[in-house]
Amino acid sequence: MRDRAKDFFTAFKSGQVSRRELMLGAGKLGLTAASANFLLNAAATRAIAADFDWKKFSGKKLHLLLNKHPYADAMIADLPNFKTLTGLDVTYDIFPEDVYFDKVTAALSSKSSQYDAFMTGAYMTWTYGPAGWVEDLNPWIKDPSKTNPAYNWDDVLPGLRASTAWNGVPGGALGSPDAKQWCIPWGFELNSITYNRKMYDKAGVKPANNLPELIDTAAKLTKDLGGPYGIGVRGSRSWATIHPGFLSGYSNYGQRDFTIDGGKLQAAMNTKESKDFHKMWVKMIQESGPKNWSTYTWYQVGTDLGAGASATIFDADILGYFMDGGDNKEAGNLGFHAFAANPAAKAPTPNVWIWSLAMNSFGAQKDAAWYFMQWASSTEHDMFGARKMDFVNPVRASVWKDDEFRQRIAKSYAGYLEQFDASSPGSKIYFTPQPLFFDVTTQWAETLQKMVAKQVPVDEALDQLAASIDRQLKDAGLG
Amino acid sequence: MEHTSGLERALRGVALALIVVFFLFPILWIFLMSFQTNEEILRIPPSPFFTPTLGNYAALISGKLTTVSGTLDIAFMRNLWNSVLLSTASVAIALVLGVPAAYAFARFKFRLGEDIAFTLLSFRFAPPLLVLLPLSLYFQQLGLTDTYAGLIWVYQLIALPLILWIVRGYFEDISPDIEHAYRVAGHSWWSTFTRIAVPLAGPGIAAAGLLAFIFCWNNFVFALILASADKQPVTVGALAFVTASGIQYGQIAAAIVLSVTPTLALALYAQRYLVEGLSLGAVKG
Amino acid sequence: MSAVATEAPAHRRRTNWLPYLLSLPALIVCIGILVPFLTAVYYSTLRYRLNLPAMKGFIGFGNYAGFLSDAAFWNTVRVSLEYTALTVGVELLFGLSIALLLQKRTRINDAISILLLLPLMTAPAIAALMWKLMTNPNFGVLSYFVQSLGVKNFQWASDPESALFTVVLVDVWVYTPFIMILLLAGLRSLPKQPFEAAALDGVPRRFVFTRITLPMLMPYIVTAGLFRLLDSIQQFDIIYPMTQGGPGDTLLVFQVRAYLEFYQYTNVGKSAALLIILWAITYALSNVFIKQWLKLRERARGLA
Repeated sequence: MRDRAKDFFTAFKSGQVSRRELMLGAGKLGLTAASANFLLNAAATRAIAADFDWKKFSGKKLHLLLNKHPYADAMIADLPNFKTLTGLDVTYDIFPEDVYFDKVTAALSSKSSQYDAFMTGAYMTWTYGPAGWVEDLNPWIKDPSKTNPAYNWDDVLPGLRASTAWNGVPGGALGSPDAKQWCIPWGFELNSITYNRKMYDKAGVKPANNLPELIDTAAKLTKDLGGPYGIGVRGSRSWATIHPGFLSGYSNYGQRDFTIDGGKLQAAMNTKESKDFHKMWVKMIQESGPKNWSTYTWYQVGTDLGAGASATIFDADILGYFMDGGDNKEAGNLGFHAFAANPAAKAPTPNVWIWSLAMNSFGAQKDAAWYFMQWASSTEHDMFGARKMDFVNPVRASVWKDDEFRQRIAKSYAGYLEQFDASSPGSKIYFTPQPLFFDVTTQWAETLQKMVAKQVPVDEALDQLAASIDRQLKDAGLG
Repeated sequence: MEHTSGLERALRGVALALIVVFFLFPILWIFLMSFQTNEEILRIPPSPFFTPTLGNYAALISGKLTTVSGTLDIAFMRNLWNSVLLSTASVAIALVLGVPAAYAFARFKFRLGEDIAFTLLSFRFAPPLLVLLPLSLYFQQLGLTDTYAGLIWVYQLIALPLILWIVRGYFEDISPDIEHAYRVAGHSWWSTFTRIAVPLAGPGIAAAGLLAFIFCWNNFVFALILASADKQPVTVGALAFVTASGIQYGQIAAAIVLSVTPTLALALYAQRYLVEGLSLGAVKG
Repeated sequence: MSAVATEAPAHRRRTNWLPYLLSLPALIVCIGILVPFLTAVYYSTLRYRLNLPAMKGFIGFGNYAGFLSDAAFWNTVRVSLEYTALTVGVELLFGLSIALLLQKRTRINDAISILLLLPLMTAPAIAALMWKLMTNPNFGVLSYFVQSLGVKNFQWASDPESALFTVVLVDVWVYTPFIMILLLAGLRSLPKQPFEAAALDGVPRRFVFTRITLPMLMPYIVTAGLFRLLDSIQQFDIIYPMTQGGPGDTLLVFQVRAYLEFYQYTNVGKSAALLIILWAITYALSNVFIKQWLKLRERARGLA
């Protein structure tokens, strides 16, 4: 039966059978929708098998470290195809994000060879790279004997390729010619506004076009809706508070985290413009943010929006996307809106987060690990994830051009594609790559918490923050 | 206490009632929460009325967690089993090592004896992280990373000092005369130890073992750093219900209930040892 | 002491090796732990960040000296000591009161004392999770109660004003039963005669409590306090899941800070130095308790 089914799907791939016929036929063969999806991709997987010895490492076993995330779910759903294609066995440890990065640090800092490849963000490689924990992937990508001819690395959005490459020099530009490719982009998110259309209609407001407007809209929503609060943003004492909406807005006002002078870094959070921006941001949270904002992470910001406890979020577009589906109370009620915080800015400047795959330097079977990485970031898997699973936002240009994917999104997620198209040109990593990334962003979040709690005035707090960071840069020999 | 007035008795009753509410209400509330769907939990304002569902438990026991983005495999029952294995083995080993040592410190005055006893106790002073940071490196070299053996060894840091401290006090409180008489009657040292000393100290050993078990079971930081997904205990596993597509409050509640049940059952079974075992000498030394 | 006297001299030569043999296995298992401890001491004398390998070098007491002028460090010392004093103090008082209420052996009292052990069976990390759910401002049942009582804007762990209160509350919830059970065991094992004599003489009950009960219970109180002190000053399990040390720097106790320094900033040197200082403080505080305990023990033995 398995072979008959396979032939059937191959016929579909090559256009001999229509999608409707396929589903009918699949039903007759007694396949569930899930296995139909899997088999469908099995056909695609066999298509990439041409001209490349996928079976070279057959019989070996890979072990992965994964974050509990829809991207990982999509990969796991497609994993049987990889196993058939290569004969490699794959096992994985999966951890929730609350402890995921600590687990990675624990494994890598102890030089553990346990994991062959793992999920990471670009910011993390600014630590892992210089520490010697991850491999520069250029030698693999550029070696035709190791990478299948259909891989098409250039199809990955150029901004993302650059953002995951760094030359290791503190303050060095991302994607410079001498940069090392510390990880492979896998899926990414940029920051924009997701709002509850029902609540907006009820309060008679439109999505805000800039930060001063957002402050007013959020205040009006909080007042008029009588229950839900106006705007959800993250606030926990962590780097994760800084990188989404906050840094996107901050960059839109032309502000930077550091200035670089003769290779030396200097903290730049205490300029006049920065202080003004912080004041607006703090005011917005104090007036219309969640009550226990200082504990808010991705999860709380999203859960509140999905449960109808908040009217707006300024966070990852895909967070809004997840909340608009599934069994969320407000599923189907959400709208998406590109957002430029600065009224004088021409376009949005969203900071991006890129979930990526990296290779453990202590791993014992790097070539085999690369087989997994190139498969997981291949057009075929990206396409499968984007069409059938929640693998948004895909990182490949060809997937963004795919009609089936675009239609699926346009149909179920009103305004999402428009939001993406308006946001993406200005999107990149706006942080300065440097090894003290986590020290700096954690302290920055701590300072925000103090300002929101009115423990310290904004001006004074930012001067203290900049002075403290400059001192640490000096201690580390960077400032 | 024989001459308590009615008013005093009433006041005592009220105070006890308040205390019971303070300590038990959170558990009751979580227990109720574990039978609700996420939607019911997120209702504003909270309400004690709901249609009970076993869905949360079913998801945990079957290991299939349904989220917006599909079904996830969660080895919660395996985590629970890991907790049982780690705690039981750690306490068993700590007893085998600790009870003879406690006996030695209680019955013999020997050169460096007090120093060794103090060194062993002082392992409780070392902050867990201080030991953990370098230990993760050594574990890699010794091949103990992500093994039950490695974890059980580290758990001795929790269990061994506790058992030594309590059991030693207990032995010291039991008069050595009986053992002495038994020895004089021609029995070997070993049979004196196993036939007389250990049975006499039984309640103290049971209480110490129970407390050590609870502390091992409740440990979080060692397992967080040293254990991989298939070796981790429930304290770390309970974090797994926070997923990128939402927090599964009902399942967290069910996980909390399931993770407390085994220690609770053990404690109920062995509770008489706790008070009785701790009362004789043990703690006062 | 009496143990030595009763060990028959005839056996002494033959059994001399016995105590070493008995305590050696326990010691060997723990010595393994001593190696990482010494490694950590060495790390604390280095400038050592994992992501700046080129900067690694010996700086002696540089990390420690850096703390002296670092306001954040002194904040950590203050918060840790405050947390320890509050939790140990409140739990001793509360635990003693409950133990006194339950002192009499009745079926109800015994049942209650078992029920009260429930929170102790809950892992602190899990208890933190429970309280986080209960204090959620949207659906948390405690937030709802507090609001119904007319207190608006009480934000539990997310407001610097009430954050310390909230984590201390959780600690008290988890660990008071531990103190209660130790003190209850103590109370029930006190000899009856002094109390009977006092009752015959018509001594006022408050006087009985301060002059007889409390002094006799002292060894138990000191032991219970010591065990709680050791855990409390090294707090991590409750604060980290609840607030990660925030809001601001309100709850940045030693172990939370050291954890962040290592696992997020990969600053091994600084993290190790922080932990060595924590170890020194723990050691000093414990010594005070243990001295007190030994003194009480001597006195008890002397009386007996």
